[in-house]
Parts: sequence; C-alpha cells; structure tokens
Amino acid sequence: MASVSVEAVRKRYGALEVIHGIDIQIPDGEFVVLVGPSGCGKSTLLRMIAGLEEISGGVIRIGDKVVNEVPSKDRDIAMVFQNYALYPHMTVRENMGFSLKLRKAERGVIAERVKKASQILGLDPYLERYPKQLSGGQRQRVAMGRAIVRNPQVFLFDEPLSNLDAKLRVQMRTEIKALHQQLKTTSIYVTHDQIEAMTMADRIVVMHDGIVEQIGSPLELYERPNNLFVAGFIGSPAINLIKGTLRRDGGRNWVATEAGIDLPLNGNASGQDGQPVVYGIRPEHLVPADNGGLPVTVSVVEPTGASTFVYADLSGAQICGVFAEHPGVNPGSRMTMMPRLDRVHLFDAGSGQRLAG
Amino acid sequence: MVSLAQDVAPSSRSGRLSAEATWGLIMLLPYIAIFLTFVLYPVGYGLYLGTEVKAYQRIFDDPIFLRTLANTVIFLGLAVNLKLMLALLLSGFFVHERRWIRWLSFIFILPWAIPSIPTILSFRWMLNAEWGMINSLIFQFTFQDGPGWLLDRVYGLGSIITIHIWKYLPFWTLILVAARLTISKDLYESADVDGASGLQKFLYITFPGVRNMYITSTLLSTIWTLGDFNSIYLLTGGGPADSTQVLATLGIRYAFGMSEVRAGVATIIVALPFMVPIVVLMVKRLRGEDR
Repeated sequence: MASVSVEAVRKRYGALEVIHGIDIQIPDGEFVVLVGPSGCGKSTLLRMIAGLEEISGGVIRIGDKVVNEVPSKDRDIAMVFQNYALYPHMTVRENMGFSLKLRKAERGVIAERVKKASQILGLDPYLERYPKQLSGGQRQRVAMGRAIVRNPQVFLFDEPLSNLDAKLRVQMRTEIKALHQQLKTTSIYVTHDQIEAMTMADRIVVMHDGIVEQIGSPLELYERPNNLFVAGFIGSPAINLIKGTLRRDGGRNWVATEAGIDLPLNGNASGQDGQPVVYGIRPEHLVPADNGGLPVTVSVVEPTGASTFVYADLSGAQICGVFAEHPGVNPGSRMTMMPRLDRVHLFDAGSGQRLAG
Repeated sequence: MVSLAQDVAPSSRSGRLSAEATWGLIMLLPYIAIFLTFVLYPVGYGLYLGTEVKAYQRIFDDPIFLRTLANTVIFLGLAVNLKLMLALLLSGFFVHERRWIRWLSFIFILPWAIPSIPTILSFRWMLNAEWGMINSLIFQFTFQDGPGWLLDRVYGLGSIITIHIWKYLPFWTLILVAARLTISKDLYESADVDGASGLQKFLYITFPGVRNMYITSTLLSTIWTLGDFNSIYLLTGGGPADSTQVLATLGIRYAFGMSEVRAGVATIIVALPFMVPIVVLMVKRLRGEDR
C-alpha cells in the first residue's frame, strides 16, 4: 500500500489544456472519489495516475516514487475499467491470474491468490466460465477480482458501476466499500454520480472544467460547500439557490429577492449590505411553517414513502422542499416553508464563492 | 388477414391451392425460372461434361497435369498463407487512427482497386529478363545479369505468387483492420496495467480477437485463389513450357487452346473433393454454426 500525491498536474492535448494544475494528497489506505460532470477531467486524471495518459506538467508520486516516466505495468497499480475489459478468450480463472502469469509468478502462488480472491467475491462457481457467460454484476466482480489478485499498492476505478442497473449498482457500491474496509488498499474511484461519491468516499474531490473545486469528506462538502458549483453538485434533490441582495440593518440580516421576498438569515452572517448574493437552502432543510416562512404556491407533490418532495413557486423562483411528513398540500395550494437558519448557505453572486460564516 | 396462415397453406381436402398460395407460386416462378436457367443448368451441364472417365485418363496421362497439380498446391499454400500473414501484420499498422495513415491506406488499396490486365502486363514487362526495368536496375548496380524471372519454374512461380500477393494483400489487410477494430481498446490498456509486452498483447488479445476472421479469410481466400486465372495467365501464360500452369489456366488451355472441352472441365473438377469441404465449412462459419 502507498500514498498517492498529485502535484500541479496538467494535461494538454496540443494547444488545448484540459487539466489546469491539480493538487491532491491521498494518504495510505484512503478511499478517494473523483467526482464531477462529464468532461471535467476526472477520468483523464485517473488515467494519468494509471500511466495510460502522459502527464503534460507537474508530478505524480506513488509512495515516495515519482512515476511520471514509469510505465503502467511498473507502477504497481490495478485498474477496474468501466466496461470491465475482461479478456474475452480467457476463463474467469485465467482472467484473474493473467497479470501474475505475465509477472512469471509460480503456478501455486497464482492458484492460491485466485482462489482467495474468488472466495472474497463469491466467484468460485464461475471460475471456468468465459466472460460472455456471466451477468453484468458477475463481470464486474471478475474485474474486481483481477485487481485484488495483484495485491497492488493502489486500486484505480474508472466508473466501474455505470454499466449496471440501479439495484445492482447500490449492491456493488456496498460491496466495494466493504472490500476496501477489509483490504485497506489506497483507492481512487472516478464517478459522475454524487450519491456514489457521498456513500463510498473517505474524501471526495469535486472537479469541474479541469480544476479541483473542493476536497473534503462527504459531510464537509454537504455542510460547507466552498462555492456554488459544489453546493449545486452535492446533494439530491439539488440545493435551492435564489438570487438576491444582502441586507443588514442593525442586528438583523436578510436577503431581499427581486420579487420582493425577504429570505431570513442568521444574525452572524457575513458580507456587505447591498452585496449581490445567492441564497442556498437544501430541500431537506426547509420545514413547513404556520407563519413567518416563505409563502409558496405548490406545483408538484411527489410522495416517495419515506419522505415527500414538494416543488413550489416562490414569486417566480422554483424551490423544492423535502419533508419527512406529508404536509397535506396539493398542487395549487399555498403553504409556507421555513428555512433552518443554521443551514443556510450564502454565496457571493459574482465569484460564486461561499461567504464566511 | 387474421387467417393468413390458413389461407396460404394448401387445402388438402380439395387437393387444390388456395388463391393466395397460387399467387405466391406465380410470384416465385420468375425466380425459379432464372435459378434453373442460369444456376442449375450451367452447373449441372458442367458436371455432366466432367462425367466422362476418358477425360480423366487423358489428363492424368499428361505429364503436365501432375506438375500443374503440384504448382496449384504450392501456389495456394504459399500465396494464401503469406498473403494473410502479411495482411495480419500490416493491419496492425493501418489500424492506427492517424490522418496520414488514412491517406496512405487509399494509396495502399490501389493494386486491388485497379484492373488486373494493365498492371499485371506492366509487371510482365518489368520482369522481362533482358530489357525489363528490374533486371536493368540490377545490372546498373551490380553489373550482373538478373535472373530470368519468368523463364524458369521456380522464379516463375515465385513471381506469380509475389504479384498475386501484391494484388490481393490490400483487400485482406482491410478485412483484418476491420477485425482488429472490433477489439475494445480497454483490453489493451488493461493488458498494459497487467504488464503485457507488445508480443504478449498480440498473442493474448489481438490474435484471439481476430482468429475467427483470420480462419474465415483463409478459407475464402483459398477458394478465390484457386480461381485466380489472371495472375498466372497474364504474367507467364503458364510457361515456360507449361511449367507454371495451375488448374485454372490448364483447364482453359485444354478447353480452348486444344479444343478438348471435357478434359478442361475434368481438370477443374479434380479440385472439387478439396474445395467442397472448404465451401461447406465456410458457409457453416458464416452462419455462425462453427464457433
């Protein structure tokens, strides 16, 4: 096992720079998820760590060793690909043992390691089958097994669950997490799915347009997003973001929207009076209130059983509230939603950065 | 419409066809007529021409025939296998997605795309022992006379095989490029991470991935190469002294050069016991029954 260090790493294709100097320190044994919308550079970064893409600038270290010029096979990593990349003409057993065979490991050692990995993953009954005879979930497990058998310093996962159906995805998510807790191998996992990121990661790296927007634990990102992008990307349903102007009057702070609604704030909110801001409140941090809240007109009600999503109109702004109890409203009815003041996020409208406090 | 199946089936009680079935037959008639006239009749007549035992005695008594049989086996064995091995090798180059490689492949395809007669005839001139371009160049650089490329059995067959490969290599290269393109790039990247060398990637990924297409191509090319008349006829004409004849050219020589049509047909039919299994295997493979 080893730490991974990404220092001022850049990637250029000709004149086009797609990764603009990224720094990430990953301590030994950590499970880090790179998350972001498609085209943000997360897969490219992973492939640079894997040695499948050249590094245009900066340094990547695995352990203490700079690996910029080290070929993939000598980096002591294992990678799980999005469509598994199982060798179609080899059985499950041969697929799992292939890397050891190439490294001229003894037959006994290969057999033992394959056996151990197949037991961990429940692949014993399938060892003599070919990939095309397996279901998606089983193929996914073989891809994992191939990585485990190597006992590498670092696991790299490139959207490994995106080809599975929703139910299997949730199941494999848990399995990968459990596997990591058992093996404690440093892991870097790429996904565009923020739920996967939130549920699996020790730390999340949110990427956007080739830069890192924020690095932090899932709860840190959820509770204190650094900027509008992270706020909007993390959390489902997405955070409500309402434009307005910050108002301070004595000890009282609020955000005035253009439509003339006053959005309540804590007394200790920072920022200048008159500053254009974006007011953020997560749907689950709105509570139905009898009075004193935000007056809205309900447009859609979605009961999911565990909670109820209410989409509503706040003088032209669409907002969403998630309530544990069905609030007993119908489309067209009026209600008031009260933001939990300790959960309000305030961002500068120009820079999109979080305002301290 | 609901009872279509019933209507189409001949009514067994009356022993007569329903209206739909009758019309169906009428619609089929032109095809059946064309099939009988232009497929079954020529093939059947050809086989009938080849039923005379005397014709076989005639050709087996001809000393040229056995040599021709040997030539054919050599031609098929070397031309088909060399061609496909080279094609497999070259496909590894042409599979790269670079613009200049795409342009190069347009030039590369030319020998296959242009008609045989002008190109093979010009090779015939180039290979002329006395004033051909190749021997002139050899003389200029070495002050030695080059070999008589078309004047001897070994050089003749060698020239024929070379020209045949020159002509058909582009086609098979493109076929194998297509086969290589079906292999997912991920497999190679996965092999990179696993620690495979270039040769190991070829052995464990590329070849298993194109193996089916390679075998199918070998079978198909064997059938087509047996019928390749141009490469021999235009280059050596089967000469000198009939030493480079193959079955296809010898058959034509019997049938038209010597007006012995039955001997000509017999010459080709001799190949059938080898060709029919190949064709059967081929059709099976193309239908995906033999995977």
